[in-house]
Amino acid sequence: MSVLARTTEEWDGAAVRRFTRRATAARADTRWWTRLGDLTSGLTSAAIAVAVCGGLVSGLREQIAARPPVSSAVLPGGLTATAVAVAVASGSVALFARLGPVSATPGVAAWWLPLPAGRRGLLRGELRRGLLLAVAAAVVVALPVVLAWTRTLGGVLTGLLAGGLLAAGAVGALVVRQAGSGTRWVPAVAGGVGAVALVGPPLLGCLAAAAGARVAWPAAPPLSLPGAGALLGVLLAAAVTAVVVADHRLEELSAGALRASGETVQYATASVLSLDTREIGRALRSPVRRPRRALHWRWVRRAEHAVVAGDLAVLARSPWRWGQLAVGAALPVLTARTQGLGELPALVAGAVVLGWWTAATAVGEPSRRASSAPGADRSLPLAAAVVVRCRAVVPVAVLAVVLGVSALLVGQGTGSPPAWLALGVAAAPAWAGAAVRAGYRPDLDWSGPVVSSPMGALPTGVGATLVRGPDVGVLGTVPVGLALLLGAVPSWLVGASLAWSLVLAAVAVGTAGQRD
Amino acid sequence: MTSEPEPEPDPDAEPLLTATDLSVGYGGEPVCAPVSLAMLPGTAVGLVGPNGAGKSTVLQTMVGLLPALAGTVTFAGQPVDERSAEFRRAVAGVLDDDAFFPSLTGAEHLLLTARAHGVADAEQVVADELATFGLTERAGALPSALSSGQRRRLALAGALVRPARLLVLDEPERRLDTAMRRALADRLAQLVAAGATVLFASHDPAFLGTLADAVLVVAEDECRLVEPADAVADLREG
Repeated sequence: MSVLARTTEEWDGAAVRRFTRRATAARADTRWWTRLGDLTSGLTSAAIAVAVCGGLVSGLREQIAARPPVSSAVLPGGLTATAVAVAVASGSVALFARLGPVSATPGVAAWWLPLPAGRRGLLRGELRRGLLLAVAAAVVVALPVVLAWTRTLGGVLTGLLAGGLLAAGAVGALVVRQAGSGTRWVPAVAGGVGAVALVGPPLLGCLAAAAGARVAWPAAPPLSLPGAGALLGVLLAAAVTAVVVADHRLEELSAGALRASGETVQYATASVLSLDTREIGRALRSPVRRPRRALHWRWVRRAEHAVVAGDLAVLARSPWRWGQLAVGAALPVLTARTQGLGELPALVAGAVVLGWWTAATAVGEPSRRASSAPGADRSLPLAAAVVVRCRAVVPVAVLAVVLGVSALLVGQGTGSPPAWLALGVAAAPAWAGAAVRAGYRPDLDWSGPVVSSPMGALPTGVGATLVRGPDVGVLGTVPVGLALLLGAVPSWLVGASLAWSLVLAAVAVGTAGQRD
Repeated sequence: MTSEPEPEPDPDAEPLLTATDLSVGYGGEPVCAPVSLAMLPGTAVGLVGPNGAGKSTVLQTMVGLLPALAGTVTFAGQPVDERSAEFRRAVAGVLDDDAFFPSLTGAEHLLLTARAHGVADAEQVVADELATFGLTERAGALPSALSSGQRRRLALAGALVRPARLLVLDEPERRLDTAMRRALADRLAQLVAAGATVLFASHDPAFLGTLADAVLVVAEDECRLVEPADAVADLREG
């Protein structure tokens, strides 16, 4: 029974959105000079970014052209660019699926979704934002791939348009899935595709290099104007269809799912804005499922064993982490095997740091969890420092294998394979220490002075806090960089590297959790 | 706002909200025993149970925000579908009390709700509701400038500033002072007398005693309906 008279017409979604937008705008600074200032600032930042990136790329091209080709760099640049683009696209699909792609902020969930207005009208703005973001990202990702195929203006424009339309179609398809049976499986599949895209080419490259062959990459087929038009026409039709169907299916999205996605978006956004990379991982991780088999841990006799057993269980039950380890091992190999990139030791060393940090992050999960929720550790009859030392055991063991294989393949064709293998294994303690150091990184200290930044106020010393972990890994990779520069592994380098790595690991684990 | 005196609930009337062997939980795991319940129009049922017993999960499943693990929930004879405009027109709830648009004032939140529901003389209704909840002075404040208790009152006002046949409230007494709790319980009792149906979870014996016609005890082994007086006595004994 209604106790309020309902005599006027209800608002539709557009009216609700309009009211909210106007009420918000009434408090925003919308003066033209403020907007002009924002626009100028944005354009200037973009121009600086383009200039810096352009300068770097240009310098890199000159360096590549000046160096003699390396026989083990057998993968064409186009193949590598495509593999990276596929991996980035897969990651984007996984991210979009994890975040909705259509979501509702807590405010929208509490105040819009219970209204009788059609959900389609309420959520159309969200769909539009997702499409714009996806298209912009696709154009950026597609650019290097397109440039690897063609340098004609028409070809580049066709490629970029095709990328944008594919992205729009993908977002539309994801929304349709979200409204239907859900996108729960999409991140796993997309992640798998991305991992295969990054792991497959380096393996192919290593096999080809071992056989003394080069991997062929087809030249771009000539695309006539009618051909390009037909291609774009088909993609446009597919994208429009997907988006129109998605728009209709917005009505079927459930409030519970929209709210859950919105909370994830809010958590992830807050993590990005506070520059806390650990929180971003927590925000975007997949929901943990109940394990099929309970562990009995009969071999656990002491508290130290319990820490190691727990860390092993976390890794064993995280398929995402296995993929991350594989990708981490493969990234440096992909760079070393690619024509034009493998010739530059500094570039390969950079890829080594990036890949090995990716792998170290995968085994740092228990430390990150223990840092954010230390209750379980405190219940153990162990000193805090001993618990932290135990946390390094699994990372050392796993990274010894991953980094060893990675270094072995990176060094293919440049000296003794066992020496490269040993060099990778020797770096494992340093990277394990890096994983633990990063996991136990203290939270940003907001109690002191803050500095202004484009992302808002940040505490002083934010940079020093954020590099805790990777800093030790980079230092531990110096011997590998030296070997890359020399093009071989001198016999003394392995022993020196191991000693250096152990010292770094001891420092990293010993100072984990302490404020600088 | 208009209220009208209502006769006692007709036991032969069709139930407005029905749960049959309803199992609720997360990830396929039930959090409490199955629930069976039939609420007639013009009645109020309170849910009691310790923290973590599953009261909020039951409420969220009853209004379709969470999928049921098993069993059925119907509203006015139809399976609950929170996506249907008819359902949203009829059901108001306060389950997520601390979620607001950061850039809308308290009054604007209420005005948006009232207008979107087609409430006649919306501005006056909003002003009355703000006065009822003691928020008139803070009507122009953004949610971030409101105290925790004021935000709670704003959320409750949002559920009452619009027409509804069913009100679903998760611990409505939370963060309210004693006087406001009593006023809210009386207000809800008047709505029930006027024909509205109220399903709520509560830990407050006085609130239950004032409002509930029946009390559902939510527990792991069994969910059972008891007399409000028994539930109030149990809560007072702790």
